[in-house]
Amino acid sequence: MAPNNLVLTNVTKRFGGLTAVDELNMTVEEGQIYGVIGPNGAGKTTVFNCITGIYQSEEGSVKWRGEEIRGLTPYKIVDRGIVRTFQTIRLFGQMSVAENIMSGRHIKSQQSWWHGIVPTPGSRRDELENWQKVQEQLEFFNLGEFAATPTNSLPYGIQRRVEMARAMAVDPTLLILDEPAAGLNDKETLALLETIFQIRDKGVTVLLIEHDMDLVMQVTDYLTVINFGKKIAEGTPDEIQKDPAVIEAYLGSEDDDDE
Amino acid sequence: MKSLERFGYPVFFVVIAILPFLLDPRWQAVAITFLIFAVVALSQDIILGKAGMFNMGQALFFGMGAYLTAILNAKFGWPMLATIPVAILIPALMGILLAGPIVHLRGDYLLVVTIGFNIVFVQVVQNNLGGVTGGPNGIFGLDAMNLFGIKLASQVSVYYFAFAVLLLTLGIMANLEKSKAGRALHYLREDPLAAESIGINTRVYKIFAFGLGAGIAGLAGTVYATQYAAVSPEAFEFIQSVLFFSIVLVGGSSIPGVLLGVFVMFVLPEIFREFATWRFFIFGFAMILAMVLRPRGIWPATFGKIPKFLIKESNHGA
Repeated sequence: MAPNNLVLTNVTKRFGGLTAVDELNMTVEEGQIYGVIGPNGAGKTTVFNCITGIYQSEEGSVKWRGEEIRGLTPYKIVDRGIVRTFQTIRLFGQMSVAENIMSGRHIKSQQSWWHGIVPTPGSRRDELENWQKVQEQLEFFNLGEFAATPTNSLPYGIQRRVEMARAMAVDPTLLILDEPAAGLNDKETLALLETIFQIRDKGVTVLLIEHDMDLVMQVTDYLTVINFGKKIAEGTPDEIQKDPAVIEAYLGSEDDDDE
Repeated sequence: MKSLERFGYPVFFVVIAILPFLLDPRWQAVAITFLIFAVVALSQDIILGKAGMFNMGQALFFGMGAYLTAILNAKFGWPMLATIPVAILIPALMGILLAGPIVHLRGDYLLVVTIGFNIVFVQVVQNNLGGVTGGPNGIFGLDAMNLFGIKLASQVSVYYFAFAVLLLTLGIMANLEKSKAGRALHYLREDPLAAESIGINTRVYKIFAFGLGAGIAGLAGTVYATQYAAVSPEAFEFIQSVLFFSIVLVGGSSIPGVLLGVFVMFVLPEIFREFATWRFFIFGFAMILAMVLRPRGIWPATFGKIPKFLIKESNHGA
């Protein structure tokens, strides 16, 4: 069995004349918390979309456990244990928190389509088991009190937690977080940090995009920095902080924003 | 609304069960059609309400079921009962075949395509395809349904047959709510991309919705053919699809909503028949008002059908 590694080789994604991701190479190893950082519009989310099957890259390969997953549909990629969250939260707004988390159990549920018409004792048991898994996630993410609340009436920070709970309900091997701290206050960010560590301790590899540099430097084991779709550096947080190319492209630009 | 539902369902079923004895024959006929339309509207709700696909051709599957029963009975001499499986399976299969190439279309485009399907169907039966559809006159003189020895000769017996079909449909709807397949439809309606990204094969479940909706509508078609002992093309025109579509929109995507929708859109116009065409003037306005005041329908879909053990004491609403 190949190790649970995600290997991107020469991944290139073009939109018309624009090359959003340019010959990107990176390797996410099992058990890591891996960060992808870069200025706005650098192509980070596009990379994630190429991994999760929302886009198909024109060139290169995306290998997961040694298997080529480039060109697979998103649900097939989920079936292989890779689950993501979105930068702009995408929950099923009118549905309750518990139902949202239950969607993560969809792929693990043993029910067939015809159980929707004719239930069997087996499908009822399967249903109950999956709701119990939902309960575990509700407890892990401390969402129990909101179980029956429609998600679109919840505050932003809690919605983020629901989205992560939904992804974790799949029992993923690789969890991909697209800017998990965006829109969170300091207290929530701290809690998030704690949660990410706990998820890693469960044996889940975490790949994340983040703008909050403090968070990135604290949480990640390894980083890739991209700008204009190209990788400009990779290394541990300490190495990255000292890298002149990164300081110029990324950290340097932050000073311009400050004024 | 939850308590209203708990109280309302038994009352509704009791009223429906004793209704034929309170009505004269004309109103019995209206009541049977109410039950049939309720079944078709519920099947439309699976496609339009739950899965959120703008299907404007539900009368096609309804008509297909009715015609299959009529053709097999009148032209091939099948007993009415034996036509039921065919009238469910062929429309379901047709639903799957027609939906396959089109479910990826966005709402409004899908709507136009399904209108097209409906019109093609009506043209086909009007032009007497294969000499079996009876052309513009349709097919009449069907046998009475013989349900394992019980002959559905009287109107009241047909009424109870229709009621049984409605109960069966309600059973399927209730089960759908508590199953993986039913939830998948809700997820893909709310956000197809998020659904796909959490592991749901949205295409398969969209086609499933069409197949299931078409099968139930086909069964309703058989009941319709049984009621009138006849079928004719104009009962399955595109305008009929519009009626089923608006029933779900006005009523809301819930079982009480759809039943209310059928009542408002079909039974009320029958009650006010003496006002002739003026009633449609009023209805137009009533529909506009309903949609402006209650954009999600008179009785909107309620979610939150989750097991009790998940709901904590300090519940924040729902």
